[in-house]
Amino acid sequence: MLRNSEFWGGLFWLLIGGFIVWAGRDMGLGRLNEPGPGFAFYWIGLLMSGLALAVIAQALVSGGPSFAALWAGTRWVKVTIVIALLLAYALGFEAIGFIPATLALLLVLMWFVDPVDWRLALLVAVIATFGVWAVLTKWLKIQLPAGLLENILR
Amino acid sequence: MDIVTGLGQGFAVALQPINLLYCFIGVFIGTLVGVLPGIGPVSAMSLLLPVTLSGTPESGIIMMAGIYYGSMYGGSTTSVLVNIPGEAASVVTCIDGHAMAKQGRAGPALGIAALGSFAAGTFALVALMLVAPALARVAIAFGPPEYFSLMVLGLTVLSFLSQGAMAKSLLMAAVGIILGLIGIDQITAQPRLTFDRLELLDGVGLVPIVMGLFGVAEILSNLEQELKREVIKARIGGLWPSMQDWAQSKWAIVRGTLLGFFLGILPGGGAVIASFASYAIEKKISKTPERFGHGAIEGVAAPEAANNAAAGGAFIPLMTLGIPPNVVMALLLGAFIIHGLQPGPLLMIQRPDVFWGIVASMYIGNVMLLVLNMPLIGMWVQVLKLPYSILFPLILMFCIVGVFASGNASFDVLLMVVFGVLGYLMRKFGYEPAPLVLAFVLGPMLENNLRKSLILSHGDFQIFIARPISAVCLLLAVAALAAPLLPALARRRATIAASET
Repeated sequence: MLRNSEFWGGLFWLLIGGFIVWAGRDMGLGRLNEPGPGFAFYWIGLLMSGLALAVIAQALVSGGPSFAALWAGTRWVKVTIVIALLLAYALGFEAIGFIPATLALLLVLMWFVDPVDWRLALLVAVIATFGVWAVLTKWLKIQLPAGLLENILR
Repeated sequence: MDIVTGLGQGFAVALQPINLLYCFIGVFIGTLVGVLPGIGPVSAMSLLLPVTLSGTPESGIIMMAGIYYGSMYGGSTTSVLVNIPGEAASVVTCIDGHAMAKQGRAGPALGIAALGSFAAGTFALVALMLVAPALARVAIAFGPPEYFSLMVLGLTVLSFLSQGAMAKSLLMAAVGIILGLIGIDQITAQPRLTFDRLELLDGVGLVPIVMGLFGVAEILSNLEQELKREVIKARIGGLWPSMQDWAQSKWAIVRGTLLGFFLGILPGGGAVIASFASYAIEKKISKTPERFGHGAIEGVAAPEAANNAAAGGAFIPLMTLGIPPNVVMALLLGAFIIHGLQPGPLLMIQRPDVFWGIVASMYIGNVMLLVLNMPLIGMWVQVLKLPYSILFPLILMFCIVGVFASGNASFDVLLMVVFGVLGYLMRKFGYEPAPLVLAFVLGPMLENNLRKSLILSHGDFQIFIARPISAVCLLLAVAALAAPLLPALARRRATIAASET
């Protein structure tokens, strides 16, 4: 049971469902003729909990793949690196700026994660980053974070 | 306003140079994302949603609609030439389309796909034009209970038709509703599940959710596997199908068109289901079913006609009731709302220029697609040769840019990444993202109509069964929920799910 991914998936949603029920009650259920802000949350939370219990019950009765089986034979390391890179990008790109952050992201992805010829990668990264920046800021008038290049771009 | 006058006004809007340009950009990008595996119409539409803000509402919606039906056309190219569907509705085209390509008949396969798509797309438009005004008149009589029950039906049917366990699909629909309700309560102005974050007061954005669940998650899933793309190297040859091809395909196109159109209208239905169902029917009624899987041209013609007709049919519930029947239409609803328009029965009266302009642009778009697809197949083949190692970083960059541009907030980029990881894990654990996104869009409307109904009835739930339309919708929803309990239907649903994977 402890290796059964279906069981843990169901348990995760059961916890979320329980939290939604609690949050709904906390917001206020109101009355049936004047439902409060938590009314829908409360009932949908209960529905979620019931459905999560059905998933857990199904996992206990029929079993399910283990966590290892879900990732067996896959290139999960690449996936993990990309997720880490994206998280770092999302957290840092406002401070670093669109151009340096995007250039770095594209180059790391094309040089190390799924490598292509480094010259081609450099060419694609430079054209794509500056091309998108020019279209967005000059044509569509969308402000992108300048970050480290604040003094150069402004 | 009668149909002829309306259509005349529509063409006056659609033929304006700026709208022609938006229509062309839409169908071109639609074909491109249809051709490229790893990015579908949902990702492309969310990516370009912010771009539409710079123009008029009709221009923006014309472009978004063009992306949708354009991707249905483009999806067949990769299915035939590479045996990888460009988007989900073309999965079934791989079977006989690629077999034909291996026999040196890629040209007729692509030709019949384009011509069948054109015929089906045109039929769907004529039907949309005829059905929509009549349905809109009926829809004016809809009150909160009818809307609530119709949305419940849509979510239930979508969950029923999704792959995998129905409990999981319904669970995802529930999660989608909760996500849709985050933010300030429309009635009491109380913040709900905002965790004291200012960014969440206006709710979670549609674009970060869709880009995360469909764009980023798709890339992460593709990265797991080494994508082997073997583009047919032989000359594609003449695209025009032979007389024998026509004879074999013509009724398949008619059947696919009719079936696709009706499945497209149904809440929860859509192009993917239509293509699978039409293929199954063709195989079942064929006198030579053994040809299917080995290059039967009907196996290409029927699903391609069906998915294009479904794409057209799906506009009917959105334009007349204001209820999106599938995820793509949910996104289009988002586009309408961003532009300050509310699709529904009053759209035709209040903004006939928008309604008829979109309808007329779809005629023009279908002709553009035929012109694009027939002579430009060689160019799409070149696009297909672009390595995924270059493609995926660029798609990621476009996702980031699209999300940031939609709200000008780096918080949305973070949200997209979080939903990307969630979407990737959901695929791993067998949870479907489509019910979540549809429920996310319908969530606020669903809650609003539920609360209004209860206020109207002084807290009496009988209001939902006392009104005939509402009662029928709920009855159908209960039937969809109970259907998996019947062994024969459960087996049938499992077969569809298995064939979709």
